[in-house]
Amino acid sequence: MKRVFVIVVWLGVALLGAGAFGKIAFDRGEPLNATWFVVAAVCCYLVAYRLYSAFVAAKVLALDDTRATPCERHDDGRDFVPTNKWVLFGHHFAAIAGPGPLVGPTLAAQFGYLPGTLWLIAGAAFAGCVHDFVILFCSIRRDGKSLGQMAREEVSERGGFIAQLAVLAIMTILLAVVGLVVVNALKSSPWATFTLAMTIPIALLLGLYLRFVRPGRVLEASIMGVALVLFVVVAGQWVADSPTWSHVFTLSGVALAFAIIAYGFAASALPVWLLLAPRDYLSAFIKAGAIFSLALGILFVRPQVLMPPLTRFIDGTGPVFAGKIFPFCFITIACGAISGFHSLISSGTTPKMILRESHARFIGYGAMLLESFVGVMAMVAACAMPPGVYFAINSPPSIVGGAGEAAASTISGWGYPLQVQTMTDLAHKVGEITLWNRAGGAPSLAVGMAQIFSGTIGGERLMSIWYHFALMFEALFILTVLDAGTRVGRFMVQDLGGRVWKPFGRTGWMPGILLSSATIVALWGYFLYQGVVDPLGGINSLWPLFGISNQLLAAVALVVATTILMKMGRLRWIWVTLLPMAWLVTITMTASYQKIFDANPRIGFLAYANALAAQIAAGKIPAGKIAETQRLIFNQRLDAAVTGVLAAMILVLIVEALAQWYSILSRRKEPVLHESPYIATRWAADYSGAAHGDD
Amino acid sequence: MKLAAKTTSRFLRHFWRGLREWCGDAAYESYLRSNRRLTGSCRTLTPAEFYVEQLNRRYSRPNRCC
Repeated sequence: MKRVFVIVVWLGVALLGAGAFGKIAFDRGEPLNATWFVVAAVCCYLVAYRLYSAFVAAKVLALDDTRATPCERHDDGRDFVPTNKWVLFGHHFAAIAGPGPLVGPTLAAQFGYLPGTLWLIAGAAFAGCVHDFVILFCSIRRDGKSLGQMAREEVSERGGFIAQLAVLAIMTILLAVVGLVVVNALKSSPWATFTLAMTIPIALLLGLYLRFVRPGRVLEASIMGVALVLFVVVAGQWVADSPTWSHVFTLSGVALAFAIIAYGFAASALPVWLLLAPRDYLSAFIKAGAIFSLALGILFVRPQVLMPPLTRFIDGTGPVFAGKIFPFCFITIACGAISGFHSLISSGTTPKMILRESHARFIGYGAMLLESFVGVMAMVAACAMPPGVYFAINSPPSIVGGAGEAAASTISGWGYPLQVQTMTDLAHKVGEITLWNRAGGAPSLAVGMAQIFSGTIGGERLMSIWYHFALMFEALFILTVLDAGTRVGRFMVQDLGGRVWKPFGRTGWMPGILLSSATIVALWGYFLYQGVVDPLGGINSLWPLFGISNQLLAAVALVVATTILMKMGRLRWIWVTLLPMAWLVTITMTASYQKIFDANPRIGFLAYANALAAQIAAGKIPAGKIAETQRLIFNQRLDAAVTGVLAAMILVLIVEALAQWYSILSRRKEPVLHESPYIATRWAADYSGAAHGDD
Repeated sequence: MKLAAKTTSRFLRHFWRGLREWCGDAAYESYLRSNRRLTGSCRTLTPAEFYVEQLNRRYSRPNRCC
């Protein structure tokens, strides 16, 4: 009887989800209510978790709770710490959820709400969650080894080297692109610039408190820090209203880029306890609070989604970034659907803290579902504003003809009516000088969030505060990714340099620290500067490059996972990782090809370089701008080369893996699995982690 | 009523512990607990030493995603 009841309940959930999905996909009448998105997403996640993840756990991976996990085998109270599964879920989610699931869906909203929403939900359920879950499992079975180590041992030496290079490449592009999002968010905004700048002295203050006054008392320090940050969000209005101070904090894109580069260098070279760690604490609390509030806000306000399901820009002529729905929708939304970067977390800290193998399902698969939900919320926030406003904020001036009447007329001509007065009123409401041409995703998401938050508390009176809170929240945790990534990049550079000259590899040697920090900052700083001065808006070039590199890393991880499954004798089930891998290889290769060779200068790097070179040759470029144009040509060719190298790396890895798979399938070679030997757990079935276990 | 109060207090206690573990507030306590278990290990670090050592380790590998 109970079984029948359970089946009926799950059938009900599935039907409700299918109904909501049907409404989203086929309704073409009045604007949809956002509740449909929430219902569709939540029902699909529940069904995917209940059925598909259970199938992967039981059949594909055969999780074994009698086996001791790395934290039981090596418990040292430092890296290997038995951790309650809810706490570890929080850790893992805080680590994987960055700006990607917020910015990517916001940019992809230019295709309409439907393609992005479908990809976010289906991509997460069948690709992203499986990717995180399987890599976490593989790392648990190998004492918490990293993706690079697993690739080296299970695929080949060269495979491991490619994985390491891919990580460095993605890190460089990622840091540049997130830096660009921050620059575009803060450009000409004294309020936002002041607020974000003030988080640095606040972090330094917390750093000193945590180091010398109350070592390690993170909670009390974070509460003080969050209170101070909220205060500076409000104080930013006074700065914006002051003629003197607003002038000081009104910075150009180039000035902001150099400020961010200097910040990245400082965060990498200074002791970690002084700046980087306290900022991370602040960011973690504000991130958790803002995401939770956004979910509640959407449920409370239930905004209307004004963007159509599909826009005319599915043909590749989009103003936010150029390129057709296939493959660019799937490249633009990386995090939120599938992200290769997660494999670094799933093979980093989490496997060293997990209590039981069965927890990998909840933590690996479940946390990714939650990240996908964050992406759906970002999509709702972006699509809840009138499409004309969305395109006015996100289009670069070179596409819409600047700001004001010309831009409003271009956007209205696309079929999305827009009045100049609407933009002026909106900018006034959110306390900005202008909202035109603020490409990058962050400002439009902040407008969407501010509309939702002000619908819950404060109404239009508080809209400027909510807007700057949302902008601060995005920028704060983007900078956390930037500083933590720069520091990790510094270690990678030191590791590589240390192979050539030993002292350079010593992580405590100051000249080595400074030189390696300068090297990694110069690498991403160059791409950031290039994005800031790009007349097409750097997002058009850099975001697809970031998407390609991130998805390539996911493909690398899935190649490793498929090889491991094959060696484990799970040949029957390898489609679970093989199909997402094939899909990722298809979209990344297509996107790479188009970004390099497409004849449209807005898509193809080489076509853009050639078009600029032709303009110089025809004498259409004024003498004073020739050097700048030549630099642009060089940048486009460099981007083409980087894309080509990324694509070549995955091809080499696939060839390596194919050779390995052939020798396994043809039984020419006995498959050697590099798992740690089985040791039975000594923990009781109800043991739930160090602190909780003391109950 | 009594049961509800008991359940709530139990939930809050667990939530507080979970929060402290999640944000790293309880990391030193976990370290001490584990150090007690591991006989013959190195000298016990002070809270300040442990805090710095733990941060240096944590931020030398990817721990924040995009």
